[in-house]
Amino acid sequence: MLVPIFTLKLNHKINPRMVTMGKFDGIHPCLTAATQAGKVFIHNPHTRGQRQAAHRLSQSAQDSDISLLNINQAVSCLTAGTLGPNTTGDTLLVGTQTNLLAYDVHDNADIFYREVTDGANAIVLGKLGNIESPVAIIGGNCALQGFDYEGSDQFWTVTGDNVRSLVLCDFTGDGKNELLVGSEDFDIRVFKEDELVAEIAENETVTSLCHMHGSRFGYALANGTVGVYDRTARYWRIKSKNHAMSIHAFDLNADGVVELITGWSNGKIDARSDRTGEVIFKDNFSSSVAGVVEGDYRMDGQIQLICTSVEGEVRGYLPASKEMKGNLMDSSVEQDLIRELSQRRQNLLLELRNYEENAKQAVPGASERDTQMGVIPANTQLQTVLSVREATESQRSHIELSISTPNETIIRAVLIFAEGIFEGESHVVHPSAQNLCGSIRVPIIPPKDIPVDLHIKAFVGGKSSSQFHVFEITRQLPRFSMYDLNVEPEAPQPTGKVTFTINDRPQRVVMWLNQNFLLLEGIDTPDVTFTSLRGGGLLTISMLSTSGEITLNTDDIDLAGDLVQSLASFLAIEDLQAEADFPTYFGELRTTLTEVDDYHSVHQKLTAAIADHSNHIRNMLVQAEDARLMGDIRNMKKRYIELYDLNRDLINEYKIRSNNHNALLACLKSVNQAIQRAGRLRVGKPKNQVITACRDAIKNNNVNVLFKIMKAGTASS
Amino acid sequence: MEINLNRIDYLQVGVISQKTMRLLPALGRKATQKVAVADHDGVITCFGMKKGEAVPVFKTLPGQKITRLDLGGALGTPQEKIFVCAGSEVKGYTKKGKQFLSFEANLTESINAMHVSGADLFVCASYIYNHYCDCKDQDYYLSGDKINDIVCLPAENLGRIVPVLACQDRVLRVLQGSELVYDIEVPGPPSVLELYNRDGGTNGEDILYGTVDGKLGLIRITDSSSSSKWEIDNEKKKGGVLCIDTYDILGDGVKDILVGRDDGTVEVYGFDSSNEPTLRFEHVLLESVTSIQGGCVGKESYDEVLTATYTGWVTGLTTESQQAEAGPGEEVKMSRETQSKVAALRAELDQLQMKVVQGREKYQQTAQSSTAVSAMPVFSINDKFTLCQDDASYSLTLEVQTAIDNLLLQSDVPIDLLDVDKNSAVVSFSECDSEQPKGNFLLVTYRCQANTTRLELKVRSIEGQYGTLQAYITPRLQPKTCQVRQYLIKPLSLHQRTHTIEQDRPMNTLSLVGQFSFAEIHSWVLFCLPEVPEKTPAGENITFYFQNTFLGTQLEATYCKGEGHFKSDNISTISILKDVLSKEATKRKNNLDISYDINDDSVGHTLKMIHPKLEYQLLLAKKVQLIDALKELQVHEGNADFLIPEYRNILDESAYLLEEYKKQPAHLERLYGMITDLFIDKFKFKGQNVKTKVSLLLEVLDNYDLDSLMNFFNEA
Repeated sequence: MLVPIFTLKLNHKINPRMVTMGKFDGIHPCLTAATQAGKVFIHNPHTRGQRQAAHRLSQSAQDSDISLLNINQAVSCLTAGTLGPNTTGDTLLVGTQTNLLAYDVHDNADIFYREVTDGANAIVLGKLGNIESPVAIIGGNCALQGFDYEGSDQFWTVTGDNVRSLVLCDFTGDGKNELLVGSEDFDIRVFKEDELVAEIAENETVTSLCHMHGSRFGYALANGTVGVYDRTARYWRIKSKNHAMSIHAFDLNADGVVELITGWSNGKIDARSDRTGEVIFKDNFSSSVAGVVEGDYRMDGQIQLICTSVEGEVRGYLPASKEMKGNLMDSSVEQDLIRELSQRRQNLLLELRNYEENAKQAVPGASERDTQMGVIPANTQLQTVLSVREATESQRSHIELSISTPNETIIRAVLIFAEGIFEGESHVVHPSAQNLCGSIRVPIIPPKDIPVDLHIKAFVGGKSSSQFHVFEITRQLPRFSMYDLNVEPEAPQPTGKVTFTINDRPQRVVMWLNQNFLLLEGIDTPDVTFTSLRGGGLLTISMLSTSGEITLNTDDIDLAGDLVQSLASFLAIEDLQAEADFPTYFGELRTTLTEVDDYHSVHQKLTAAIADHSNHIRNMLVQAEDARLMGDIRNMKKRYIELYDLNRDLINEYKIRSNNHNALLACLKSVNQAIQRAGRLRVGKPKNQVITACRDAIKNNNVNVLFKIMKAGTASS
Repeated sequence: MEINLNRIDYLQVGVISQKTMRLLPALGRKATQKVAVADHDGVITCFGMKKGEAVPVFKTLPGQKITRLDLGGALGTPQEKIFVCAGSEVKGYTKKGKQFLSFEANLTESINAMHVSGADLFVCASYIYNHYCDCKDQDYYLSGDKINDIVCLPAENLGRIVPVLACQDRVLRVLQGSELVYDIEVPGPPSVLELYNRDGGTNGEDILYGTVDGKLGLIRITDSSSSSKWEIDNEKKKGGVLCIDTYDILGDGVKDILVGRDDGTVEVYGFDSSNEPTLRFEHVLLESVTSIQGGCVGKESYDEVLTATYTGWVTGLTTESQQAEAGPGEEVKMSRETQSKVAALRAELDQLQMKVVQGREKYQQTAQSSTAVSAMPVFSINDKFTLCQDDASYSLTLEVQTAIDNLLLQSDVPIDLLDVDKNSAVVSFSECDSEQPKGNFLLVTYRCQANTTRLELKVRSIEGQYGTLQAYITPRLQPKTCQVRQYLIKPLSLHQRTHTIEQDRPMNTLSLVGQFSFAEIHSWVLFCLPEVPEKTPAGENITFYFQNTFLGTQLEATYCKGEGHFKSDNISTISILKDVLSKEATKRKNNLDISYDINDDSVGHTLKMIHPKLEYQLLLAKKVQLIDALKELQVHEGNADFLIPEYRNILDESAYLLEEYKKQPAHLERLYGMITDLFIDKFKFKGQNVKTKVSLLLEVLDNYDLDSLMNFFNEA
């Protein structure tokens, strides 16, 4: 049984996921974490009593090993590592919703302090692709930004949604790091510098990523899933009712391969084999885990796994010694093996008994016992049909899954397990006792266009049964299932469109249509029109068989992007240029861009006003205190009342400012999203070109060029 | 003194009931003992351990489900004859496995508890107790509630055998012949009885009992009275007690108490110098521990605690160290015995696998035939749905002999499902369409992790809302089947039986008069209240006492043919009873004359009862709210010295406060709900509808103060 080699109680709360280890003087590792009240604490048990308080740093009064760093803003992410070329120790990087601070703890000096309008939700430090020096990459609202040691912008790109997690990893195996980005639109995207090389769709917000070894990485989702990918292939995953707070790769059993260490919201820590997900070690904290890091905290040359809880408890574990033979748990292997085998034997015996007992029931009879046991004809088979249903008065438009039995048996309940389309992971239909019958219709409304496997479990038996047969069926819902071939003749034609040319036969496009849309009969021409059941509106796909030019007509730029990406991956197209026009969307974007300008100028004005006010305050305070010392109570009162009024104004102003800021953030996010969407209409190189060109256009504040690029796909001409 | 016990699995048989495993007495100089265990398939397995392997002595043929196993023999000789009961039959076997007795007790119900002593046989079916001597009927007793267990004080000291019954209505009944001598109140429904030290202690008058809600105690029973020696509460909310034994496992010369619980906990209680029991050892086996006994099975001169669990595992917790086998610094060396054991198991598995594949094919072939049917045998589920006194919520435990794949919970009444930390299953709430009558208020799926055989859930009900909770359990067993279990949520679901009530509280009375039989009114009471025996009580009339576990208010129900009186200090209880009873009576076209007598003081009295709870919760909530802010201040200022003592106190106690707060989720909301009900009910009896004033009441509650609340109740 592996036990912690040290335990500390730090008496400071630790913000989840904001824990790191840094050797700020180049030698001594210090546990660094964000705590309440916009502070970062640095725990340095190695050099006691040598530090003086100055600048941002102050000694904690409770614990001499702890220094506190005042950030004065809620910290949103932090990391430490080598940033500059000639620094002795690690640089501490602290991100907030508006700024990024690079700080030299040893010299107690700021290295740079940059304003980042998109915020910093996640941060990673290291080498990326061909960029010479290490960069600190922050992920904010749909944007990624990389800074070098001088604070200059080395890298910028956009991604689909708010970034929640980042990691550097050699994904392609070319010896250079790629950037893995987990975001709130459930995707893990892989960037080779600013080129998107891979996209992995998950089914919840990706909250953590960690590099295991080679091209293998671990991930955690907001719904309690953790797992390991090797490139785009998932090795394993498990789901828990708790949330994974922090994941880290560490070789705890000393077999030369790292394990995935997960810290959970219920305080559990477990180590799982990277190949199978089998738990090889677990331990418990009394409160939620905040972060898992590693470092040589005892300075004896051995790296420890260090786990921290939100209440400030810290435990260090040494990798298992040889004697433990990889057996870190508190039970004997032999016992477990025997128990497992016996359990399997018992299961087989029970299954066998099921068949034997079943054979005895050769004669069908309708006795009391039979109906209780839920006897059904042996040839009962369930029929399932998926079809698209338009909206009616009582029900929104949906996809209907109808399940029915061929005989007099009834379906007591239907459980559907599927990811990403229900509120939880399952949907249950349980008709009341008087409405039991042999068929059940389940309406399904997938919120986004993703292919979904429906794992259906239907309980089949008699009306008064207490035992039922469970039928397990898996049906796949195609990616674009919420589109109906029935088109109302009066429906307005969409104004937006994308046009691109492919070198493939129309039959292949027809195949793609049949596979990705829910079509009962199937179609034989690539020219089709659908009604979108989500937003109304039409979707027209047409192809000129002579030139291979495909036109997608829709007002939904996201849908157009999804279609382009799906078609391109089906036909294995690497580079695809396209021309696009979405007048309505572009019109909205134009308004947003003007709004951004407005918000910026308001922001500047307000900032100036603050400076004014703070001068006022200083004056008034001095006057008021003077009056008090002079014994002039009347004046003092007057001054303090004024001060109070001013304070109230300040608070009001603050509210205005923060509203303004939030509105600005929302606008910036939609601008970033627009760039991402324009990119998604193309594939491969043209896609990256569009994104880079759009960025330049925004930097130069050239709105017309921006729209030109979005439409044509290139900056030139 | 610390002890360390190591787990060894010996053998697995079929699913087993409570108290169906015993150790046979050691033979002569041989120190290891043989084990007899009986399962639901009707098989008795007797085995001994030889070189780490279970060697069967005998095994009987399958038959009816065996519910108890006891050892007996002529008095004064080793008790090594095995007695089992299955259905209404009692069978006896010699230690060699030869059947020497088959006795049909001629009871209409199957036997669920048995005691053997010399030529005397004591059996109990649900309500009936029977005593046979040499298989001749001697005495008979009909108990007021279900009998869970029986034990008899030995005849040597008292001159006669004294049978003691553990009855569901929280009493132990002491009998003499066919007569009840007296009954003993215990703190919960007793589930198991055992003689202390296996012989009743020095005077042969001490018995140990365990209750369904996890309490434990020792009682001394004398001719005409009893006295409780000690009691252990169930503060940590462990499972109910299923089996007890007395054995000196600590090796300190004092007999220890071994306890097995239905949440898999095995405990050893030792005695300190003051003769108070203290917990010395605890181990969790993940399945209900149905039998426990101290002895020596695996290896000579190593004592152990032998347990049998629900799925039929016979497991020892031995004092022998297991660590010694794995020497340091070497390759894992599996002992030769284990190696051969594993090989044998694997070979057997392969064979079974083949058979199963054949079976599967055959089964699939039947799907082609139009006349064949598919009928799967019913798998066994061990379930328990009990009210926890401490937090006034129901706990539902489900246990299946193989791993559970998923569980669907469906309820047609509004209930809250609470999270249980122990569960690792992934919970998913599904949308419900609650509009239709008897619709769904709760649809939840639990997808279990591999190897989950036991699930524990907590459910919070609201008094006055009644219906059924259904659980559909699907185990991981091919061909897949699922079984549904139903649990009634009764109208007064938070009430619990007690022995006495305070008579001087201001009481409201509800009286029923009409043309109904005793059985009819009993069925209505059974419908309304938990812990009422299903069988109509003997006699002309009956009185039951209940207590509301959440508020502490009480209810007295007295009824007979044609008449019923219900008295409670809580007006809401009376109101619920009135609604439900009149509804039930109308359903059966019974003409009821309902009258009530409302005591206005009772409302004030109930409010005063709620007051300390409410005040405590409000204060707790307030303190908990402050903790984070205070901590931040502390960090900011470096220390907490500048704070007033009250705040410093909160900081010091923060861990405890948070824990306390976490323990009682939504406690405040529930209290508010009950006060609102009280308010509405008070005026309902006066014929006024005050639903519009509820928002005002909530305002008063937000700025809570007992006096202003009382005034509000009086003025409105």
